[in-house]
Amino acid sequence: MAIHRHDNHKSANAFMQWVDDRFPATKVWNEHLAEYWAAKNFNFWYYFGSLAILVLVIQLLTGIFLTMHYKPDAQLAFASVEYIMRDVPYGWLVRYLHSTGASMFFVVVYLHMFRGVIYGSHREPRELVWLIGCVIFVALMAEAFMGYLLPWGNMSYWGAQVIISLFDVIPYFGPILTEWIRGDFVISDATLNRFFAFHVILLPLILVALVFLHLVALHHVGSNNPDGIDIFENLDENGKPVDGVPFFPHIVIKDLIGVCGFFIVYLGIVFFWPDLGGIFLEKDNFAPANPLQTPPDIVPLWYFTPFYSILRASTETLLMFFAWSSVAIAVLAALFTKVDLKYKIGFIIVGAIAWFVFMNSSGKAWGVILMGSAIVCFFLLPWLDRSPVKSIRYRSWPFKVALALFLVAFFILGYLGMNAPTPVKTVMAQVCTCIYFAFFILMPWFTSIGQTKPEPERVTYDAH
Amino acid sequence: MADNQVSSVNADGMSVEDKKRRRFLTGITAGFGAVGGAFAVTPFVLSMTPSERAKNAGAPVQYDLSKIQAGQMVKVEWRGKPVVLLKRSDEMMAGLDKITDKLADPDSLSSNQPAYAQNNSRSDQSSPALLVMEAVCTHLGCSPVEKLAIGPDPQMGPDSQGGFFCPCHGSKFDLAGRVYKNVPATTNMPVPPFAIAGDMITIGEDGGRNA
Amino acid sequence: MKKITILLMSLTASLTLSSAAMAAGGGNEVKDKVYINMSDKAALQNGAKLFMNYCLACHSAQYSRYERVAEDLDIPLYQLKDNLMFTTEKPGDLMKTTMPAEDAKEWFGVAPPDLSLVSRVRKPDWIYTYLRAFYQDESTPSGWNNSLFANVAMPHAMYELQGVQRLVKSGVDVHGGDGHGEGIQLAEGQKLVGDAIFELQHPGKMSPAEFDKAIADLTAFLAYLGEPAQLKRKTIGVYTLGFLIILLLLCMMLKKEYWRDVH
Repeated sequence: MAIHRHDNHKSANAFMQWVDDRFPATKVWNEHLAEYWAAKNFNFWYYFGSLAILVLVIQLLTGIFLTMHYKPDAQLAFASVEYIMRDVPYGWLVRYLHSTGASMFFVVVYLHMFRGVIYGSHREPRELVWLIGCVIFVALMAEAFMGYLLPWGNMSYWGAQVIISLFDVIPYFGPILTEWIRGDFVISDATLNRFFAFHVILLPLILVALVFLHLVALHHVGSNNPDGIDIFENLDENGKPVDGVPFFPHIVIKDLIGVCGFFIVYLGIVFFWPDLGGIFLEKDNFAPANPLQTPPDIVPLWYFTPFYSILRASTETLLMFFAWSSVAIAVLAALFTKVDLKYKIGFIIVGAIAWFVFMNSSGKAWGVILMGSAIVCFFLLPWLDRSPVKSIRYRSWPFKVALALFLVAFFILGYLGMNAPTPVKTVMAQVCTCIYFAFFILMPWFTSIGQTKPEPERVTYDAH
Repeated sequence: MADNQVSSVNADGMSVEDKKRRRFLTGITAGFGAVGGAFAVTPFVLSMTPSERAKNAGAPVQYDLSKIQAGQMVKVEWRGKPVVLLKRSDEMMAGLDKITDKLADPDSLSSNQPAYAQNNSRSDQSSPALLVMEAVCTHLGCSPVEKLAIGPDPQMGPDSQGGFFCPCHGSKFDLAGRVYKNVPATTNMPVPPFAIAGDMITIGEDGGRNA
Repeated sequence: MKKITILLMSLTASLTLSSAAMAAGGGNEVKDKVYINMSDKAALQNGAKLFMNYCLACHSAQYSRYERVAEDLDIPLYQLKDNLMFTTEKPGDLMKTTMPAEDAKEWFGVAPPDLSLVSRVRKPDWIYTYLRAFYQDESTPSGWNNSLFANVAMPHAMYELQGVQRLVKSGVDVHGGDGHGEGIQLAEGQKLVGDAIFELQHPGKMSPAEFDKAIADLTAFLAYLGEPAQLKRKTIGVYTLGFLIILLLLCMMLKKEYWRDVH
C-alpha cells in the first residue's frame, strides 16, 4: 500500500513537472496563494475584497442564465422578465439572485472602499491599486445603470431618460451626444439593444480585466493591514514576514467564514425579502415602460442616491453660497498666509473669477459637474491625504471627526436621494453636499494637523 | 506576545492527533461545501429544462379522423414535430407482410413505441389501419417524404409496397414506419402516445394505458 | 469589534429612521390595512374564483397560466376547466381576457390594465381599499366613482355583491383626534373605507362584512398572482439558511484549527 501511494505521489510530481515546464502553474500558485504573505491581523473589513470577487462571479453566472431567456426588445423585454419569473423553472431564483446581487455588489464595494479609507490602503505604495479600484467603481456604476434599463419597467425607462439627459449640459455637443447614446430621439428599442450589448459583453469584460489588474497591482505591492504598517520590515530567518500568514490556506479559510456570512445575508434577502421594501426592486418597475407617464417619485436605486442628491442639490442658492465662499476663502488666504504680495493678489483674482463663474452659470450644469466631481474626488484621495500614518488607529482626531462627518453626510445624501425633494430636504442636501466636498478639499489640511499616535513595530494581534 | 519572535506559522510541529483532527475537519467542511455546491447548481440546470410555455406548446393535440379517407395521409404538429396520421387501405395493409424479410426491425423490438402499437402494423388494434407516427427519421432527425403509391419508385425500388423515404441520407421505411435493412437509420420511426375516442384522436396523451 | 457594533447600530438606526420617514411620506392616500396569509389556500381559492368571474372579463393576467394557478392553489383541474376557463383554452394557456383591447378602450376610455403585477405596483392595501371604495356618482360617464382613485374609468364590477354605496363624506381626517380614527362617529349603516364614509343604498348579495372578506380574499389572490414563486420561495429559504448556518459553524471551526499555530 505504502509503495503504491508513493508511486502515485511520484507520478503526480512528474505530471506537475511536465506542466511547470510549459506553464508556470506552481510558480503562480506559490506567488499568489501559498507564499503570498498577508498580515495575520486581518479583521472584519478584510472580508470584502474576496467577497467583491465572489459577487462578480455570481453576477456573471446568473447573468449568463438570464440571457438564455431574456429578450432585448422593447416589445418583448418586460414580458420576458415575467416569463423568467413565472414560466422558467427556478427562473425567479436566478433573477432574484441577479437583482439582489447587484445591490449586494455595491454594499460590498462601498464597505471595501471604506476599509481602504480607514486603514490607508490608498496610500503609498498602493496608489495604483486604489486608482484601478476607483475605475472599477465607475465601471460598476455604468454596468448597473445599463442593467437597470433591461427589465424595461417604467422606472428603468425614466431613470435612463434622466441620466442620459445629463449629457445635454455639455455645451454645443450635448444634444448630439445624447441622441447618439440613445440611437433615437427618445429612449427606445435601439437604446435597449445597445445597453444590452454593453451590459452583457463590454462592461463585464472590462470589469473582469480591471479586477485582474487590481489584483496584479495589489500582489506586486502586498496587502495593507489594519495597523497600516509594512509587515515586510520584520522578516524571520527564512525571509518570511513574522507577522504574515500565507494567503492559502490561512486567509482563504478565514475568508470562507466571510463567504458564509455573506451568503446568509444575501440569500436571506433573496428568499425572504427580495424587493427589500422597494429599495432593491422598485415598485414602479413592475409596470412596463410607458413613455407617456413618468412615475410619481422618480428615484434611482439606492446605490446611486448619494450622487443623485448632489445632482439635485445644485440650485442657484448653492451656487451663490459657493461664489461667496470662494471670495471669503480668497480673502482669508490673502490675509493670513505668509507669502509674497503677488501671490496674495493672485488669491484675490482667483477668488473673483470663481465668484464670477458661480454667479453666472446654471444650476443644471453645475449639478452634473458636482456629481462627476463627487466621484473624481475618490481618485484624488492618495494625494489629498497627508497624514504621517495610514491607519485610523494612529491618526489624529481631526481626521476622525472629518471622516465621521463625511459618513453622516454621505448617508443623509443617500437617504434624501431616495425621496422626492422638498424645500427643507433640498437645504439638507446642500449642506451635506458642502460637507462632502469640504471633506476632500480640506483633507490636506486636517490630515496634517493634530497629534498622531506612534505606529507600532509589529501588527496588533491577539491570538485568543 | 512572548513567542512573537518565532515565525507565525509553525505547521511542522503538529502531532499526529493534530493532523488527524485537521484532516477530519477539512474533509467534513469540504464535503458539506460540495453538497451545498450541488444544491446551488440545481436551479441553474433546471432553468434550462422546458419552461411552462414550452410545455404548454407541447400539450396534447386533437384531430378529427373523419376528415381522412382510406389511403390518405395528414400531418399534424405536436411538440414541434410532424406527426403522420395515415389511414392505410386494405392493399397497403396487405403490403406490410410481403416485405418483412427486407426490414431491419420488423417486430419493433428495438424501436420506440407504446406497447399497444408494438405489432406488425404498428397501430392500436382497435383501429389497425390507422398509423400514428412521428415522421422523424431515426438517423439524424430529418422528416422523410411519403411514398404512398404501390409499385416501382425511383427511390423506394422496383417493387415498393409504399413507404417513406428520407431525402437527407436515403433511409427507407415501410408504411408502418419500419426501417429497411442496409440504410443509415437502424430503428423504426417512433409512435407517440395517442388515444382514440369516436372520431377524435388525441396525440401526446393516452390516458395512461401504456403504463 | 466594539466599533463595528456601534457602526452597525447607527446604520440600523438611520435605516429605521429612513423607512419610517418613507412610510409617513407615502402620499396622501389613506388605505385600509389588509392581512394576507399566503398559506390560507381556501382564501386564495375563493379569491381566484372571484377573479375569474369578475375581473377576467375585462382585465387579463397575461403572464399567468391557468394550470399554474390551479396547481399552486390546489384547485382541481376539472373544476378550473368547467367553471373558470373560457371553453377554447388549454389549461396551460395564459390568462388573457377575451375582450379586444380596442373595444375596451372605446367603452371605458382606457384599456383595462393587465393585473398580473398590480399587487406589486399598487400594493395589497391599496387594492383592498380601492375595490371597496366605489360609489354611485351620476356626474361620471360610467355612473360610478371611487374615493381612492377619483374619476376612475372602471365601473363597479362587483356591485351585485356589495350593493350600491353613496358617498357621505370624503377626506375624513382619520389620523386626527386620537390618531387611530376611533374618534370618527359613524351613523347606523355607515362605513369607513380609507378616508371616506359611505352609506349602503341598496344592499347586495353579501353583507358588508362578507364583502370585506371576499375582497380580502381577492386581494390575497392578486398578491399571489404578482409573484407566484413566493409560495415556495420562503420554504427553500429556510432550508438554505439552515444549511448555511451549519456550514458557517464548520468554517469557523476549520479556521480556528488552521490558525491554532498563529501566535
